[in-house]
Amino acid sequence: MRLLKFLFGFPVLVFAQQDTNDVVLRAMKDEMARSRALRLVDAPPYFVEYTLDDADLYLAGASLGALIRERRSRLRAPRIRVRAGEPKLDNSNHIFSDVYRGARYDATEFPLDDHYDALRLAFWLATDRAYKQALEALARKKASLKNISESDRLPDFSPASVVSLILPVPKRSFDETKWRDRLRDISAVYRAYPDIFFSEVTLGISNTTSYLVNNEGTEVRMPDFLTTFRIRVSTMAPDGMPIRDYAEFLTTDVDQLPSESQLKKAAQETGDQVSARRAAPYPENYSGPVLFEGVAGPQLLAETLGRHFSPPRRPVSDPERPINFLPGELEGRLGSRILPEWMDVLDDPTQKTWRGTTLLGHYPVDIEGVPPKPVVLIEKGVLKSFLSTRQPLPGQEGSNGHARLPGPLGNNLAVAGNLFFRSSQVTAVSDLRKKLLDLCQQRGKAYAYVVRKMDFPSTASADELRRISSGLSGRPVSIPLRLYRLYPDGREEMVRGLRFRAFTTRALRDILAVSDELYLFQYLESGAPFAHMDVSGYVAGVSVVAPALLFDELELERIPGELPKPPVVSPPPLIP
Amino acid sequence: MWQLALLFPLIFGEIRGLAQNASPLLETLSAELQRNFLELQAKADPPPYFIAYSVVEEESQTAAGSFGSLLNSAGGLTRSLDVTVRVGSPKLDNYHRMRGDVAQFASALPLPVEDNPNAIRRRVWLETDRVYRLASQRLIRIRANTQVKASEEDPSDDFSAAPVSTYIEPVRRLSFSQTEWNARIRRLSQECNKHRGVLSCLVLIVAARQTKYFVNSEGTRLQHGRTFARLSIQVRGKASDGMDLLATNHFDAVTADRLPKEEALLAAVKKSCEQLTALLKAPPVDPFVGPAILSGSAAGVFFHEIFGHRIEGHRQKDESEGQTFTKSVGKPVLPEFLSVISDPTRDSIGKVDLSGSYRYDDEGVPAQAVRVVEQGILKSFLMSRSPIRGFPTSNGHGRRQAGAEVVSRQSNLIVESSKAVEPAQLRMLLLEEIKRQGKPYGLYFEQVTGGFTTTARQGLQAFTVIPLIVYRVYADGRPDELVRGVSIVGTPLASFSKILATSNVPEVFNGICGAESGNVPVSAVSPALLVSEIEIQRQPAGLDSPPLLPRPSLPDSADLKTAAQTGRERQH
Repeated sequence: MRLLKFLFGFPVLVFAQQDTNDVVLRAMKDEMARSRALRLVDAPPYFVEYTLDDADLYLAGASLGALIRERRSRLRAPRIRVRAGEPKLDNSNHIFSDVYRGARYDATEFPLDDHYDALRLAFWLATDRAYKQALEALARKKASLKNISESDRLPDFSPASVVSLILPVPKRSFDETKWRDRLRDISAVYRAYPDIFFSEVTLGISNTTSYLVNNEGTEVRMPDFLTTFRIRVSTMAPDGMPIRDYAEFLTTDVDQLPSESQLKKAAQETGDQVSARRAAPYPENYSGPVLFEGVAGPQLLAETLGRHFSPPRRPVSDPERPINFLPGELEGRLGSRILPEWMDVLDDPTQKTWRGTTLLGHYPVDIEGVPPKPVVLIEKGVLKSFLSTRQPLPGQEGSNGHARLPGPLGNNLAVAGNLFFRSSQVTAVSDLRKKLLDLCQQRGKAYAYVVRKMDFPSTASADELRRISSGLSGRPVSIPLRLYRLYPDGREEMVRGLRFRAFTTRALRDILAVSDELYLFQYLESGAPFAHMDVSGYVAGVSVVAPALLFDELELERIPGELPKPPVVSPPPLIP
Repeated sequence: MWQLALLFPLIFGEIRGLAQNASPLLETLSAELQRNFLELQAKADPPPYFIAYSVVEEESQTAAGSFGSLLNSAGGLTRSLDVTVRVGSPKLDNYHRMRGDVAQFASALPLPVEDNPNAIRRRVWLETDRVYRLASQRLIRIRANTQVKASEEDPSDDFSAAPVSTYIEPVRRLSFSQTEWNARIRRLSQECNKHRGVLSCLVLIVAARQTKYFVNSEGTRLQHGRTFARLSIQVRGKASDGMDLLATNHFDAVTADRLPKEEALLAAVKKSCEQLTALLKAPPVDPFVGPAILSGSAAGVFFHEIFGHRIEGHRQKDESEGQTFTKSVGKPVLPEFLSVISDPTRDSIGKVDLSGSYRYDDEGVPAQAVRVVEQGILKSFLMSRSPIRGFPTSNGHGRRQAGAEVVSRQSNLIVESSKAVEPAQLRMLLLEEIKRQGKPYGLYFEQVTGGFTTTARQGLQAFTVIPLIVYRVYADGRPDELVRGVSIVGTPLASFSKILATSNVPEVFNGICGAESGNVPVSAVSPALLVSEIEIQRQPAGLDSPPLLPRPSLPDSADLKTAAQTGRERQH
């Protein structure tokens, strides 16, 4: 880590140390050099990119004191991108860009050894297939465009400067036996909770080395380490309502996780929450002031705003083939007010820590090899800019280095790194509560609502997700997990089973006040609905620093749908 | 007295075995089954009349290699639970067949891999509840569906009685050296680098131990298992006209150390590569109708796919099935010199281990040898506990993969012939038949896809047999000629009535059979067959061309140095 810190100090170009011993890099570069000779129907590829993620993965889970699963695996996931045509018009972003009709000889499992010849062969076949696929897609795209009148079509690809970044990749190891015991111990906490139906404690470690080479001369090798520690608990209220909660700890290094006693405490606290909520009242619908306290503030902003800073471009299709395309929440809103005029938003992936905590949204270059630039997204409440990749967006000059997840149709997805919400008008935390109660009184309400934790990222089951999303127009917002009624006398009462109705980005313009205190919330973005935790594959760490939020008026309603019946048979006894 | 004396030690031994070997998991499952069954019977409406828990514990280790590099090297231990709940009565229950409404309750729920009763019982309890709900809902739908009974040709019950069994065998051990096999797989797959036409190369070893735990509300308690090891070789390439070609081989044994020695395996990889190279150069086949010999392993696959699936009991009751043999019991279905036995109790033939062996099936019924065809006459079907007309009980062929519902499946399908000749004699008979029919040549099917290869990504159907290695056999004494792109026209079932003779050497094909109850290991054993007529055509060619750039130079080829130098110069 120390070495890395030193190198990460240079925000833009880092001069490569020549590393001729890296067989992977050598095989990538040698085969890349050969790809210049590819030519069919006089349309040579103008851009070729190889990325390879070499990952060491470990996942273990325990429940009620027993190890329930354990897996260790190693994989090399390649991504071969070929662009034919020209930057103005290429094979990307057509509905058939990802379709190949021929036989695939490039392996879906990549050679794991540093075996130069096997690697060369794998890149050779993958490039061949990707190039043929690109030609097929380019032909289809040109045919589609013939029948569409498009005014001022944006180009398909933007230039980027050449980067050479070869970072050392430290060897990592951890004490498996110790962690197995620790998982058993922490999970055994739930032996004291007979009303909890399901509990699991998992440790996931993903130590990846990311490689990137393109035919423009960019070459990258960098470590990408992630540890996740999760506690998940669920049960059913006597009326059949699913009740659940979780605690998630994300770090770059397993040794940075909280101590065993702190993790145990988190497990107990999660268990207490679920047990208490099981018996909490199921209230009527509500409309009135709501306070998002602590981490719920950045959680809400991450979900309803942070995820939308890069509107997707509509793919090209044939006129007679309608596509199901949902435009971005912020599409066409550059220059419009999104937040109160006393709020700014900055995304700055170059920041490594915040108040001593390592930020997961920091990275030296994105997955296209572009170093990230700090971007002022919102200034005085007005949308100024988008997060971008090398796929051009309206009103955006080139990439600002936010390509963080591989996307469909030959492009990548822009994801925020470290989002900082800044306010020029702030209220002390205690005064925020007073303000909430004042509003409550003005409206003649018996109580107001306080949210302490949103279900984002979500752990809901498929059934529950259906219920949460049913009957809502637009994008559903995750449900408040920890929700309390605050009475004028300061008393708090936990409730369950409500969701926000019709909450869109537009509601954020009406934030009434924010706290002087800032809270850090970090999560893994996968692009999935509600950034669901059960989605495996590529993820990007996002950090959000934001205050607590007070809204003048929001609507909370009962989640619709039939509830399942509780089990017929009583729970099995727990042996202490 | 004398007989008793012999029996005593056996019984004694088994009781001792029980006490020593029963896994804590079996105890936990028994206790939770008892609790759920009693409480559901007391409180639930409709109450269940039968519950079974089946846990498959699988410990496996694999190593996959390609062109000298590992692709995968992993191991793991999993436990999957399937719960069976039957509501209604054996006459009509929630498993009753209903068109457009598949009975699917099992979910292969992962169970803790450690024997911790708290963790296991919670999951078993919730899974039982989930399955009970689905079961009772489906029974209501069945009862509401008035057409169900009226229109059915086969009024058999939904569930048959079966003996209560107790059998506890010690959990076997998986012995497999991951390090040694990783190195061996690298060495074996390195061979592919010597063969220019090979575009894709896979050498894969899987070694596993499977232990099945089974308890039901009738009192059956089983703990038994198997170990197996399989080494597969698959090489693929593309002919200049775009046709995709495949050569494959595999070896099965009870344990990895019973597989052939490394030299023999290396020879097999080499042979597959050479076969592929020969196929790439071979002429594409022309449409043809005429006589042929199917090698024993090819014939085994044909028997399994074309004949074996049609004698699975449940198909006789399912009106959406072809029901080829439903009304053929007692009638000739094969030439009179052929008999077919399905025998899961047989462990090996000669020195070859059979994959389709087991002691109890997945409904806890003891495995039985079933004489399916005797001297050409159909005698019986393969039965699970789902009875059909004329066959009211199980013969121990109810099988499934974890997560699927049991249906009747094959085990070890053994074809016996009373008209068997020496292999050389069989070839003479083929040449005579070619001349008799006035054909220029006949065919020899050396190898067809089956098992492993049918699940390959080219999307082959489970019941489709694709010939891989086929030769033209000329009557005029010319050497046999390899052809490529052979596909069989129509149903080869017709060819079975045209079997003229067989060889006297049984060959074993071990494979993994995929059908509605998932993948189960099976074997097919058959001698080579001479058929008077089979019809073939040419496979469609591939949609794309071979790679545009030449293959990057490889270390074992002579021109390595020059190519590497050129590469370096290009970089400067």
